[in-house]
Amino acid sequence: MRNSGVPRSSRAMRGNLIPGYVAVGAWCLFTFVVIGWIILASFSTTRDIFAGNLFRSGFHPENYMKAIVNNNVGIYFLNSLIYTFAACFGIVLVSAPAAYVLARFPSKTNALIQNAFVAALGIPAIMIIMPLFVVITALDWTNSRSLLIVLYIAINVPFTVFFLTTFYRNIPTSFEEAAAIDGCGPMKTFWVIILPLAQQGVITVTIFNFITVWNEYFMALIFANKTALRPVAVGLYSMIQSMRYTGDWAGMFAAVVIVFLPTFVLYLFLSEKIISGVTNGAIKG
Amino acid sequence: MRKKQYTLMKVVFLGPAVLSYLTVFLYPTLRTTVMSFFKVDSITDAVSTWSFAGIENYRSLFASTLFLRSMENIARIWLYGGLLVFAFALLFAVILTSGVRFKSFFRAVIYLPNVISAVALGTMWMQYVYSSRYGLLKEFFQSFGLRGLAQIQWTTPEHIFGALLVAYCFGMVGYFMLIFMAGIEKIPADFYEVATIEGAGKAAQFRLITLPLMKGVVRTSIVLWTISTVVFFIWSMVFSPLSPEPGTVTPMVYMYQMVFGANMVVIGRNVGAGASVGVLLSLMVLVIFLISNRLIRDDGFEY
Repeated sequence: MRNSGVPRSSRAMRGNLIPGYVAVGAWCLFTFVVIGWIILASFSTTRDIFAGNLFRSGFHPENYMKAIVNNNVGIYFLNSLIYTFAACFGIVLVSAPAAYVLARFPSKTNALIQNAFVAALGIPAIMIIMPLFVVITALDWTNSRSLLIVLYIAINVPFTVFFLTTFYRNIPTSFEEAAAIDGCGPMKTFWVIILPLAQQGVITVTIFNFITVWNEYFMALIFANKTALRPVAVGLYSMIQSMRYTGDWAGMFAAVVIVFLPTFVLYLFLSEKIISGVTNGAIKG
Repeated sequence: MRKKQYTLMKVVFLGPAVLSYLTVFLYPTLRTTVMSFFKVDSITDAVSTWSFAGIENYRSLFASTLFLRSMENIARIWLYGGLLVFAFALLFAVILTSGVRFKSFFRAVIYLPNVISAVALGTMWMQYVYSSRYGLLKEFFQSFGLRGLAQIQWTTPEHIFGALLVAYCFGMVGYFMLIFMAGIEKIPADFYEVATIEGAGKAAQFRLITLPLMKGVVRTSIVLWTISTVVFFIWSMVFSPLSPEPGTVTPMVYMYQMVFGANMVVIGRNVGAGASVGVLLSLMVLVIFLISNRLIRDDGFEY
């Protein structure tokens, strides 16, 4: 049987872990090979890819220039940057204060609101998309960046509130009490004292939101499908469609790399933080 | 004076969040649910043009072979995919909490696919792993002389569902592995030590200590898995970009094509039916949530 439930400190059991190493090792190797090949292929040419010899004709960084300029990937990337940064900022602006009230002032209403937010996490996007579309069309707000940003903020508030509420509970109330004694109003206390203390939580959840918004596809597909407005995920999708006609496989792989590079790099530096955030959040859930 | 300050703060702080919730979640959910009982030609039709149709929309959905196929697909993804993902996630969680070296490294690499855009991941699988010209699987099998396996076309209609399932599951294992790891690491090591002293083998320890204490975690994971499978969309779009095909169609794809799509595969533009799809999927999540809460009782065991 597997090495299940083995006391973590037991050195004598080390030998039995070889199959375990093989299993996770193989899985990780596969991941490396796939991602590695894609990156290499993005520097190759379509012909070389199909011939099976990636670097027969050398190194071709111009695939990236082509993707950025000719295929609009540069625009998509900029759009994604705008959406992501603006949304992340907005999400915190709306969620941090709300989560604070929910965490510090228990009441029937607050409990109801909290449960409502948690329930929102289970509502599939399809349930909300059609009425949203109707309202937005009626307001003539389609095809605008601000719309998508507002949507992204609204969609991610429930999760962020949920995450931050648990975080605030770990901050001792002594700070607020001291501030109150000093005559500091409650709102100011929040912005000046509590929020800086909650930095870790805010940063962690912002990283999550960054990844979520960067990789978002469905809302953008419906509300921002014009070339000038597309974020990278939708842009990549449309590029793959057109690639059938242009046959530029190498360029497509360059676009793929451009799409996943930011979250990949972010993850390289912050994997521990991200992982601990997921783990803690999941247990509370 | 103080009391007023606090009330003001509560309103100002909670206001935007609650407002956004009402406009983006509550109102649309209610309206979609109502819409599912009406026949609506175009999505922007005024409410006055809606004609009440009772459960006709639902009936017409179940009369469509493509829709039935999409439900079948989603059920298979949920069941088989769920089993696959949970099995691997649990396996890796157990391995990584057993004292292997480089735990952080392995954990980080296994979770990595979860932060990469699904479009990018799907493209990697479709255009590299499964490629019949230069793909990873083909090269791999060929180098072992397994010509038969090397020649399998993974993206033909008969194989594409399996291919889709495997690709999707690969990317999902990391997330659930993290959840399971957190669950396992909460179990005090003393339990296992006592069990070993008492003479219980590793398998018995897993069965009698690990699994029972993971009940709550597993229950949460089932709900999380359901939520993410029900909205299966991007992967299908990447694997079948031209038009929905039976091998990859899911309810959300079906609904998208019906309401927003321009192709002729999904016949009959009845936006009300699109709303019905949404309601059905939400019901699925709710039902699974209720059933798993019933079946997997959390003992509330404190440790």
